[in-house]
Amino acid sequence: MQGALSRRTIGSELRAIAMIGRKEWTIFRRYPSWIISMFVWPVLLPFGYIFSARALGGPGGEALATFERLAGTSDYVAFIVVGTVLWMWLNMTLWDVGLYLRSEQMHGTLESNWLCPTWRVSLMLGGALAKLLVSVVFLGVSLLEFRLAFDVHVLGGNLGLALLALLLTIPTIHGIGVAFASLVLRFKEANAMVFLVRGLFMIFCGITFPLAVLPGWMQSVAAALPLTYSIRALRGAMLTGATFEQLRGDLLALALFAIASPLAGYALFAVVERGARRRGDLGQY
Amino acid sequence: MPPTSLAEISWRSYLRAALAIARKDWIVFFRYPMNALFRVIEPLAWLTPVYFLGKSFAGPAGNTGFAAYTGTADYMSFILIGAVLANYISAVFWGMGYALKTEMDSGVLESNWLAPIPRALLLVGQTLASLTITTLNSAGMLFLAWLVFGFRASGSLLAAALTLAPMLVALYGFGFAFAALVLLLRDANTLVDVSNFVVSTLSGSQFPVQVLPRLLLPLALALPLTYGFDAVRALLLGATPLLGVGYEIAILLAFMAVMAPLGYMVFLRVERRVRTLGTLGQH
Repeated sequence: MQGALSRRTIGSELRAIAMIGRKEWTIFRRYPSWIISMFVWPVLLPFGYIFSARALGGPGGEALATFERLAGTSDYVAFIVVGTVLWMWLNMTLWDVGLYLRSEQMHGTLESNWLCPTWRVSLMLGGALAKLLVSVVFLGVSLLEFRLAFDVHVLGGNLGLALLALLLTIPTIHGIGVAFASLVLRFKEANAMVFLVRGLFMIFCGITFPLAVLPGWMQSVAAALPLTYSIRALRGAMLTGATFEQLRGDLLALALFAIASPLAGYALFAVVERGARRRGDLGQY
Repeated sequence: MPPTSLAEISWRSYLRAALAIARKDWIVFFRYPMNALFRVIEPLAWLTPVYFLGKSFAGPAGNTGFAAYTGTADYMSFILIGAVLANYISAVFWGMGYALKTEMDSGVLESNWLAPIPRALLLVGQTLASLTITTLNSAGMLFLAWLVFGFRASGSLLAAALTLAPMLVALYGFGFAFAALVLLLRDANTLVDVSNFVVSTLSGSQFPVQVLPRLLLPLALALPLTYGFDAVRALLLGATPLLGVGYEIAILLAFMAVMAPLGYMVFLRVERRVRTLGTLGQH
């Protein structure tokens, strides 16, 4: 039985989410330069780090031994690739989910969308739906390109554990995206917010370097960030074929983040959204 | 002397128009103070992982592997000079191509196009604020980097600045051609991001180009910006240049002589084409 949109049911909410997702997908396809981004960025972003590492290693690889002692692997290309892919995924989510409300503000459609007889959470989920599909394609393209461009075989290790770590990372990153969208709604300065959040993860999570080189206080900050565990678990599973026992601590931390991050994200969103309606600045940017 | 009105075309009216555009961009930029602050802080987010990457390869004698390629073991100063030059390259790309896209989105491009000044001046005006902001940002970034990473440059700053001048003029030519592409394709973000990153990276903003594989090395050596990065590092850090610094400056001067008029011609032709199609304000 079909429920009308005016009567709020799970079916009507799912239809609203699907409709918003469809709308976002239509807009997304209208600007085909995303194809360039999809194929070019996975190779481009690690490019600078990989060739920096090659330069640091020296013409005869004389400095590689130091890296191997700290990172547990001499394969600095695969080490960097795993870190940068996860960071790019987070970055995409911040821009796409986080700036979804911001772009509605700028187009002048946020307030009218807010009047729809649907949950505001559904509006957010709909906005994220199309982007989730893009993220999955992005990860697939990245893996293929690394194989072709850098001869990196990231699927050679413990694939099941790698997939588990990846699945636990999805809700974690989505929760960060929703929390981030709330900050943008409150402070309006989207670019600054992106710089702040992605910068934190870039500095502390060991995206391009082993965490062992960080000073003690920075290692403590790294331990509070979910991406640290995702990167370490994926590197362990993909590059060294680590077992479940070896990764148990990282996976457990990731599972906790997978539950807490969306809950905290949506709680923050509810508080900020209510505040914006009380101040009457929901549509302002 | 009586002031010249904008309706009376002279070099002074052009200058006033360019400064008015720069002032407008300056006001918009500082209207978002957190964005302005983070423009100084954000490079540190990119530089910190690079710093720790350097640490993870450093032995008791420092980055000896890196010194074998470049002639200097001061990896962070090498990277910081690259970051500052990349900021200027980015300012010209963003200043023109992205500003056009912003005006398209805001619906003011067509009305601005009707102002009684050359269209190229609209583009140049948009880079003035951007270059000033880049200079302030770079100074702030180098100060922070000096505090955090220990930036050192022992060579002549004036010689390095003079070497940069022809590179910047040539980049304007590049920026004109690029702005033309934005007018045609109407989607600036990906174009700006990708081309800016590719050009900066292949020119050696983050590493010495000698480490590139054989397939990519000719591309890097064909980019005049490579010699700009290389000459400035040789002058400031005493790094071993790819060619002699004199040869590298000659390449930059030739680049300027070709690229500035060529880019301008491309822009004029495409702008006329877009007006013929009637798609100027579409986005």
